[in-house]
Formats: sequence, C-alpha cells, structure tokens
Amino acid sequence: MGTSALVVLGLLLFCLGLFGVLARRNFIVVLLSIELIFAGAGVNFIAFSGLWRNLTGQVFTIFLIAVAAGEAAVGLGLLLALYRLRHTVNVDEAQEMKG
Amino acid sequence: MTVLWILLLAFIAACALGVVLSRSPITSAVSLLVGFLGVAVLYLALRAEFVAAVQVLVYAGGIMVLYLFGIMLVDNEALRLQRQVHFQAWPAFVFVLLLFLWMGHELYHSDYAASPAPAAVEAAAGPEGTGAPDTNTRRVARVLYGDYLYPFEAASVLLLAAVAGGIFLAKKEV
Repeated sequence: MGTSALVVLGLLLFCLGLFGVLARRNFIVVLLSIELIFAGAGVNFIAFSGLWRNLTGQVFTIFLIAVAAGEAAVGLGLLLALYRLRHTVNVDEAQEMKG
Repeated sequence: MTVLWILLLAFIAACALGVVLSRSPITSAVSLLVGFLGVAVLYLALRAEFVAAVQVLVYAGGIMVLYLFGIMLVDNEALRLQRQVHFQAWPAFVFVLLLFLWMGHELYHSDYAASPAPAAVEAAAGPEGTGAPDTNTRRVARVLYGDYLYPFEAASVLLLAAVAGGIFLAKKEV
C-alpha cells in the first residue's frame, strides 16, 4: 500500500475524531473521538516506519499507545468528577467558566 | 490484492464514522474497539507485528474496556432524550470537510519517496549462534531497550502520574 494512501487514512481518522470532538455533546463520545485522533497518528507513524525501513516509528507507536492509556485514565477520572458534580454527561451543561 | 487493502481501509473508516455518528455511546465504544482491531490488522499487513499485538492487547483489550466501564458508570439515557442535532455540528462538519479535502489533496500528491530518510536506527544484530529467528519483536526490543531506554522509563513515570491523577480526580470526597 502506498505511503500516500496511509497518510490520507491517518488524516481521515484525525478529521473524523476532530469532528466528534467539536460536534458531539456526550462527553464519553468526545473522549472516544480523541482516541480516534490517536489512532490516526499511529497509522502515520507505522506508515513512515515502513517507508524508511526504520523501526523508530514502531517504537513511537508503542509510546503513543502508552500515552493514550494514560490519557484515557485521566479522561475517565474527569468524566466521573463531572458526573458526580452535575449528574450529566452533557458537555453543554458544564459552563461555569462561560462569559 | 489491492481490493483487500481498499476493503481494510474502508472498514477502518466505516468504524470511525460509526464512532462519531452513532446515537448511543455504547455503539460508539464498540465501533471504536472493532476499528482498533482493524488498525491492528493494518499494522500486521505493514509488517509491524509487535505493534499489532500491543495494539490488540493494550488498546482494544485495555483502554476500550476502561471506556466501557466508564460508560456503564454514568447515566446516558437523559442525554439521548434531548435533541441530537447540535447547532455546532454543521460549522464543524464544513470545517472538517474542508480541512480533509485540502490537506488530503496536499498529502496524497506529496512525493514521500523523495523525502530524506532519518538516520537509520541500527537494530544491532543479536548474539550469533542462538538459532532463533530475527523477528520483528526482537528487532523492536533491541531498539526500544537500546536507543530509547530513557523515553521508555519516562513513559512508566508518565503512566504512574496518570494513574495517580485519575484516582485523585475520581475519588469521593470524604
């Protein structure tokens, strides 16, 4: 598979994740969309690892997965804190800092 | 052969669409999980076998299970009863579409083969005479624990900090 096609796949995953972050109101779906962005970056890493026959891309994909795990833990902690405070997962209801 | 590639990429894209478009967060989470399995198959096809295994074990098998726990702990029904079409969805869609079309055009028509390769990370040859095949896992291990030992240890500290932060955010007030 050509590197260009894989880079465009990474871009597609990034754009879909970005759309999810911007357009969805459910906080969980926002977190899942951020994971989509991670997946797009991972595909990009592996694509260039194949192009340059360099294992650094694969090593950094492992780091990416580790960072995504940490981010998932913190994100779910935020979710629980938000739910405990507002009893909702609607991000529109968390607007104390607005205006 | 190319048909299989196109099917795989289309499958991953369809799962990603399922994540952002589905009404139920459970459907989003399961769609993302299946999408990650598809990405793992993609990694296998690109001969990154160890990363594919890590993807299945950690990402699909750990992180997504964590998200499913999170979904089960909160009440999603109240949100589903409200209007689903967010006023912000249409500007977001236009922006993302333009971004994808513009960047996709630029990236697809870039000449990647002409870009200079970074300094090759020498996966040093393993001890001779062991008779074991030089698999992708072995070569990744030599690079990971050789050139990238410090980032590896730093990632451990990062995960420890993330665990501590997550616990602190989610604990009950006493």
